Amino acid sequence: MTDQASFLAKVRQAAAAGRAYRVHAVDQDPAVAYLGAEGDLCQRLAAEIDAVGGRAVVVDDLPAAAEQLQAWLVEAQAHRAVCWRHPLLEALGVSDLLAAAGIQHWDQALLRDLPEPVWRARVLACDIGITSCDWAIAESGTLVMCAKPGQERVASLLPPWHVAVVHRQQIVPDLIDALLLLAAASGQPAPGETLSAHHHGTDLPSPSPRLPDARIPDGRMPALEAFLPALPSNITLITGPSKTGDMELQLTTGVHGPAHWRVLVIRD
Amino acid sequence: MRETPYLRHPHHEFLQAAQTALEDPELHRVLGQLHGTLAPRNRQAWAALPRSDEIRQRARAIKDQTLAELDRHLETLARHVERRGGKVHWAADGAEACRIITELLRARGARMVVKSKSMTSEEIHLNEALAAVGIEAVETDLGEYIIQLAGHRPSHIVAPAIHLTLSDVAAILSRAAGRPLPVDRTQLAQFARQTLREKFAQADAGITGVNFAIAQTGSLVLVTNEGNGRLTCTLPRCQIALMGIEKVIPRWEDLGCFLKVLARGATGQKLSVYTQILSGPRRPGEHEGPEELHLVLLDNGRTRILGSPLRESLFCIRCGACLNACPIYRHVGGHAYGGVYAGPIGAVLTPLYDGLVPNQHLPHASSLCGACQAACPVKIQIPELLIRLRDALHHTPGGSSRLEHWAYRLWAATLRRAWLYRLSTWLVARTLGRWKAKEGWLRRLPGGLAGWTSVRDFPAPAPQRFRDWWRSEGAQHPASAAASHEPHGGRP
Repeated sequence: MTDQASFLAKVRQAAAAGRAYRVHAVDQDPAVAYLGAEGDLCQRLAAEIDAVGGRAVVVDDLPAAAEQLQAWLVEAQAHRAVCWRHPLLEALGVSDLLAAAGIQHWDQALLRDLPEPVWRARVLACDIGITSCDWAIAESGTLVMCAKPGQERVASLLPPWHVAVVHRQQIVPDLIDALLLLAAASGQPAPGETLSAHHHGTDLPSPSPRLPDARIPDGRMPALEAFLPALPSNITLITGPSKTGDMELQLTTGVHGPAHWRVLVIRD
Repeated sequence: MRETPYLRHPHHEFLQAAQTALEDPELHRVLGQLHGTLAPRNRQAWAALPRSDEIRQRARAIKDQTLAELDRHLETLARHVERRGGKVHWAADGAEACRIITELLRARGARMVVKSKSMTSEEIHLNEALAAVGIEAVETDLGEYIIQLAGHRPSHIVAPAIHLTLSDVAAILSRAAGRPLPVDRTQLAQFARQTLREKFAQADAGITGVNFAIAQTGSLVLVTNEGNGRLTCTLPRCQIALMGIEKVIPRWEDLGCFLKVLARGATGQKLSVYTQILSGPRRPGEHEGPEELHLVLLDNGRTRILGSPLRESLFCIRCGACLNACPIYRHVGGHAYGGVYAGPIGAVLTPLYDGLVPNQHLPHASSLCGACQAACPVKIQIPELLIRLRDALHHTPGGSSRLEHWAYRLWAATLRRAWLYRLSTWLVARTLGRWKAKEGWLRRLPGGLAGWTSVRDFPAPAPQRFRDWWRSEGAQHPASAAASHEPHGGRP
């Protein structure tokens, strides 16, 4: 068995020898990769989502959003739904909409009390997942989702349909903004707090419609020493429906994840 | 289904395999589709990206800096992965990595594992090692699943089943299904979805690769388009991630730049469909994701390369852009290269990892046109590396032919002596230039040079050397010669 010390000693020696062959790469400003998005971020997000094979609709208020969601539920011909517990979905009255459409549904916060094989079987049988997101990225048409109890990632992964409800305040221009926000939200824990209790406690998100604020902290990335202790165990970026090009390089959707990816953008 | 005999030799002759591939019209048809898909999408993505060159320069500079202090970054990564509750293992070579992984699985009593696509696991032949101890490994990337069923090896870094036609795929999946499946992409994908879902739900562990590992935060980043990577680290209770040591990036802030160039290099997307940033196993209160997370750090020859002039090959982020851009790859396909990695970067990596002499044709499997370097998201100077390998080959016993050796000696000696050079150009102009040329082209060259003219003409030398023309005419009209920048200025 190779131990860490001897492994790293070999790497150290090789890295030192390799410095004779360093390339003359010009060190660029870290900001160079920032592309950003101008103008109406709701429209830009929707356009990018359409471009990657999803479908996005921008609505002005919650009633219009509810109407659009109902239309999609009909189109999906869904029988069973799994939903995040999230303030935005509650404000929208998603569970009432699903009940009215005759769709059996589970809030993930309710599923969590069941034994794992049971909730797993229920989620696997769902044909639509309804979520919000932590942030949405306008430049690339991406949704950012952090692992949290009650907002499990299976909802955006297992069913053939995934509908996400996004509020204007959740939209950021660029991936780099989202990474900044994640770093800012994952900084040093308050004294006395442990890693697992901070930010990921067992408390569910409060039902009041307080949305994450997508303002960019100060445009600076954390120092190299910052370990970001409260980083969620899983962060998923979603940019499109599940795709493959493995059959003659022709685009085929829905091979593992959802084939249908719908995003409702509320401008209100 | 078409026979693909060139798959059966682990170390076959590149030229022979290439010839077989060239005679396969179906292979040509499927490879030809790169022209209209991945290759132009990659070019368009760079064209549409403002300051794309600077962004790629940045990615390149980060790689260079990271490798200069690789030991320090690996130490930080290991410390931070363990701080988050993961377990780190160190593997000096492929055999050791396989041993670590099989022992972890046997300790858990695992019978079946799901795998998301990992070229590194192909490199160490992990599936064979697992099969040897009775553990079934199920590939879940659609392309990998298809070729696993067919018993083939991947022929492309990101599109491993690119060598198969749709009807091949239908035949392979029909055999697995035990009933004929229609030659229809959507229905074939649905079959794979249903079959693999059951495997995901039953698997004892998930094995993944790693696209980037962030030392600062101990996070592992995994990129897929299908979502199999997400399933692999969501449903099984144990996850084992395998990464080559060159995949570490130092800082959280480096990730944005790399995700942007990786997706554009691979498929021309702005971001791949699913990117996961995994920071430790599942935490108290969470009820999905692995309870156990293992990271296996693999050397397997990388330190040897790190201290060598071919160090730059470790910049590679395995996007496949150079394969799509390469005119050689687009004609012969991935299997002709014989190794795990195909295409221009494979022509560099396979001789490095697998031995130069047994793979001596690979550094020559390139016209050095530079399309690979232009497509590369980290601007690896692949032609330069190929030339270095050719040079190394020249100085390796058994690496070059005696005839070639003497031909180059003669060439070098001629160029070093002005009188000999003048004599040889005079001879060539007098002989080949005057007698053999037809409309400026030579149709057939003698002896070993016939290889060139068997598929194309060779430009004939001019009947008069520039030197002779200059002496007789050019020098007498200095004004007109200087006014025109063309070497033959003043001559009709």
